Amino acid sequence: MLLESVAYARPETVDQALEMLSSTDGAAPLAGGQSLINVLKHRVASIELLVDISRLEELRTVQDRPDGTLEIGACVTYDELEHSEPARAAHAVLADVAGHIEDQQIRNRGTVGGNCCLSDPTNNLPPILVALGATMNIQSAGGVREVPAEEFFEGYFTTAVGEGELLRSITVPPLPAGGGAGYSTVAVGADSKALVRAAAMVRADGQIEDARVVLACVAPAPFRHTGMEGALRGSEATAAAVREASLVIGEDLSPPGDVHASADYRREMARVVARRSVWQAIEQGGGRRG
Amino acid sequence: MTPNGVTAETVTRPAEPTEEVGQWAGQSVPRVEDRRLVQGQGEFTDDVWMHRQGYAHFVRSPLAHAKITSLDVSRALALDGVFTVLTGEEAREMCSLPFFQIAPEPAGKIEEWPLAVDKVRYHGDAVAVVLAETREIARDAAGLVEVDYEPLPAIVDTVRSADPDAPVLHEQVGSNVAWKGTYDWGDIDWALQNADNVVKIDRLHFHRFSSTPLECNAAVVHWDPGTDTVNVRSNNQMPMFASMVIGPTLGVASNRLIFASQDIGGAFGVKIGSYPQIAALALLSRKAGRPAKWTEYRTDHMLSAGQGNERVFLDTEVAVLKDGSILGFKTRAFDDAGAYLHYEPLGAVIWSQVCCGCYKLKHIRVDYTETLTNKCPTIPNRGYSRLQHLWFLERMIDIVARELGFDPVELRKRNYVQPGDYPYETPNGCVYDSGDLPRSLDMALDLIGAERWRERQRALGTGSGKRIGIGIGSTLDSGTNNFGQARIINPQLPFSGNGEAAYVKLDLYGEINVNLGTTPQGQSHETTAAQVVADVLGVKPRDVHVTAGFNQQQNTYVAFSGTYASQFAVTGLGAVKGAAERLREEIIELGAYALEAQPEEIELRDGACTVRDDPERMIPLIGIANIVYSNNAVLTPEMRDRLSLNARYVYTPPFHVPDPEAKTGNLTLTYASQIHACVVELDEESGEVEILDYAAVDDCGTRIHPQIVEGQVHGATALGIGAALYEAFEYDEQGQLQQASFYDYHAITSLDAPDIKVADIESPSPFTLNGAKGMGEGGGAPLHAICSAIQDALGPDDAVVSESHNTSERVWRLVHSGERGDPRGVTVSTRDSSE
Ligand SMILES: Cc1cc2nc3c(=O)[nH]c(=O)nc-3n(C[C@H](O)[C@H](O)[C@H](O)COP(=O)(O)OP(=O)(O)OC[C@H]3O[C@@H](n4cnc5c(N)ncnc54)[C@H](O)[C@@H]3O)c2cc1C
Repeated sequence: MLLESVAYARPETVDQALEMLSSTDGAAPLAGGQSLINVLKHRVASIELLVDISRLEELRTVQDRPDGTLEIGACVTYDELEHSEPARAAHAVLADVAGHIEDQQIRNRGTVGGNCCLSDPTNNLPPILVALGATMNIQSAGGVREVPAEEFFEGYFTTAVGEGELLRSITVPPLPAGGGAGYSTVAVGADSKALVRAAAMVRADGQIEDARVVLACVAPAPFRHTGMEGALRGSEATAAAVREASLVIGEDLSPPGDVHASADYRREMARVVARRSVWQAIEQGGGRRG
Repeated sequence: MTPNGVTAETVTRPAEPTEEVGQWAGQSVPRVEDRRLVQGQGEFTDDVWMHRQGYAHFVRSPLAHAKITSLDVSRALALDGVFTVLTGEEAREMCSLPFFQIAPEPAGKIEEWPLAVDKVRYHGDAVAVVLAETREIARDAAGLVEVDYEPLPAIVDTVRSADPDAPVLHEQVGSNVAWKGTYDWGDIDWALQNADNVVKIDRLHFHRFSSTPLECNAAVVHWDPGTDTVNVRSNNQMPMFASMVIGPTLGVASNRLIFASQDIGGAFGVKIGSYPQIAALALLSRKAGRPAKWTEYRTDHMLSAGQGNERVFLDTEVAVLKDGSILGFKTRAFDDAGAYLHYEPLGAVIWSQVCCGCYKLKHIRVDYTETLTNKCPTIPNRGYSRLQHLWFLERMIDIVARELGFDPVELRKRNYVQPGDYPYETPNGCVYDSGDLPRSLDMALDLIGAERWRERQRALGTGSGKRIGIGIGSTLDSGTNNFGQARIINPQLPFSGNGEAAYVKLDLYGEINVNLGTTPQGQSHETTAAQVVADVLGVKPRDVHVTAGFNQQQNTYVAFSGTYASQFAVTGLGAVKGAAERLREEIIELGAYALEAQPEEIELRDGACTVRDDPERMIPLIGIANIVYSNNAVLTPEMRDRLSLNARYVYTPPFHVPDPEAKTGNLTLTYASQIHACVVELDEESGEVEILDYAAVDDCGTRIHPQIVEGQVHGATALGIGAALYEAFEYDEQGQLQQASFYDYHAITSLDAPDIKVADIESPSPFTLNGAKGMGEGGGAPLHAICSAIQDALGPDDAVVSESHNTSERVWRLVHSGERGDPRGVTVSTRDSSE
């Protein structure tokens, strides 16, 4: 587990970073390094130049706009997000998710942008960002383009970020009135391999008005389960109704099977985490029946 | 309340210091080792640096079973900074003999060399080793060694590997059977015929895992042409065994093969197994003419450092009377030793130290087969060979209780060895020294508040989605082996008894020095040895300097020396006590001589000899040292000749040679007990297990240092829980290890471990010098406590818990096994009472 020799640069500005990334073959951004350095140690990728963006102040802030929108810089660490007041006020569930990624050492270094750009299907943040309807702001020399989180995660380790581009920030809209968010995982042990995850955003008032249900770890990228969303919409905000709606999840999934769990188990657990996250979202939004 | 929430009434405090126990033993004095360890001043093997050293990296097989058709090192040698590469073939040519085998023939014909020759036998088998200027270059060069393999079919299942048509690992053996034999004590056929009920359990499986010490293996080996010695600085925990195995292979006499170690970052038995690598490094050093330094990577460790034994129990039958008395059992055990026999097949007898566990079973038959498979060789991992068997026995007890409608607590108490039964002789001639199992169980159940949980369990009913289960694990940690048991495996082996050595001396100015034959890895030998010496010599522990670590040229030792197999409190401290007493006699004699008094009149306390009732007549230890070291003309010639203030003592336990025919004998000296109780909550829809409460009651006789004992209990408990829920080494059909890093092998962390309530009983061992019993390994009680609690939470139609490893998925399948109509894995036949 040792690095091959690799060039390293620490630009002063985002523009410089973009310049380096687009002008050097085999250049890649280095954020917290919690995945990239391991990948290099295992020698499953080879990179010529690491462009360290982790200290660029432009990418390191969490801001709340007057309309309640939260803007999270790509290089904000999990620990910073967990403890950010604006983030906690607007999206407590998101802050909690950040606070439960692996262990404290990783939370001190791992970044929101790195977590998204790696696009490991088991990563914690992607499903909650999709559920919350976040927008990913991708910057290149030509300017910033916006991509909905739902379209950003393209598959195993691939995202909408192209050559010479950087994820600059993520904007998360405020929860709608009566809306709440939820998140649930079945994992090996307290802080190890995730087998299946779900995130939800639900608007309810005794009855479910709208629901976004996102599943992860069971496909190359997190995705909205529109079947369950449809089944939820209009139904009562009760545990029984949520359970009923979750039953539509099943044969349509073809999750991976490995040494930690079979595909069958992951499929079953997709239902379980889906209903847990939806129920948490209903509780958080205060819209449960009775 | 103690910090663990244990109320004082439930904790048996160590006896008040008495004349006999002394002032210091029994107290949790501050650990001597802590200061250097927490300040980063420890010296671990990787901290050792030698002039001209190179860094070694092993080239490992990616395949589980294959012929090596070619091996080309030219590209590796061409890399700048590479000193040399040693291949398996070269290593064999440099060796005098293959490694010594414990097994009788035919498995005794196995030829194992420091590196694989002609053929690889498991995923991770080393075929060559590179030496280079830096770690990085060594690793790069290892990647450039080109090996062509012709794959052979792999066998990973221990039961199938014994089939005559299974692919054979070692051709000269003719099959994969490493050892096979029947243990038959009492009359199990009679018992099964006369039992009111016979419970049959189809299959129980104890899985592979390990202890994954924080520090992997490491060694700096220098074949020094100048002094014609081979110097091994390593973290091997049983250097004398390593020396005896590799000395003849390397053709190096044991007085020139010098092992040394200081701090070791955890070992748990796994670090008994680094001798093949050390042998390869010695040859590498010889070839390169440089010291070879090796610090194992975690993945190398997981692939090849050694894993715990996996065991399958087939067709078990248990004979039970109406009143719940269990007469005995029979079973067919298959144990998977992996690709080579490292320390094995000793596991095939070591389980029998606890053949009946905590129970008064009289009739036992075990058909035992140990097999070779295309997997990493096993190594004596914490609880070695006994925890597999104890888990099996505990499963048997719980399953009998469930099938026949007994309360598992009452069934245990009825069948436990009772406090009045000690010394208790087991059917195979082992002697349990002391204990109080029923009271230990009551204490454990009290600590978790079992009654309250039973009510919660009933109140929970169905429909909540949750289930509560209460579980028990009752095990023994048998300590201080009689190595004569090796003869039950191979009657030709000239081994028996056990022992440990210690050396205590008074230094120039009256200071006290101690050195040991042991290689501690966190067991605080420096602290406890100082306590014992302080009591004997009437000084404070801080006045006693215990040499850190082991060095074969400076320390005293016997062939059994090392730190393994739960024995230091008995053998190590027994030796320390004996040596300190010898020194005490000399000091008193010299004191009496100097003070012109009779030896009987001399008191040794506060660092001085004083004449009883006449405190004015006193000589401090510095004065005693002065006489012998620098003023010896004052002594008589006879005293000058005899007294040295240097005392060595070898403690030897009172063992006899076991009977290899009957497979009986007193196999271990002491039996510490671990009675654990826990409460789990199962989530029906996911199978997730949460531990709601956990208690461990240990009885290891007289405790020299209660806090150190407690630390060992916590560690062993966490390891067992980790094994029961998360940790496993599994191989696919092709023999590929599935968990070769911590990404896939989830070692338990503090986030997973529950708060552990601990309490103790002290039943002094009548067989040891200080009443202590070995206890470091623990008997694997948590593994069973968890399985038992899961079983308790399941419904009557659900399958029995037949695996020691229970992932969420496995538990989820168990929770739904009844409704799915899965086979339960157990049947009961009841004797017709009219017969
Ligand atoms: C032992 C361990 C366990 C882990 N377990 C988990 C887990 O359970 N859940 C989880 O979510 N994560 C887990 N991680 C991964 C961790 O969260 C990583 O930090 C994360 O995947 C990447 O974040 P990073 O900031 O470290 O990015 P890096 O490792 O620096 O980069 C990751 C990838 O993203 C690219 N990248 C980074 N930032 C940007 C950007 N702004 N724009 C474009 N591309 C960018 C890099 O080029 C690289 O390809 C674990 C890590 C370790 C070491």
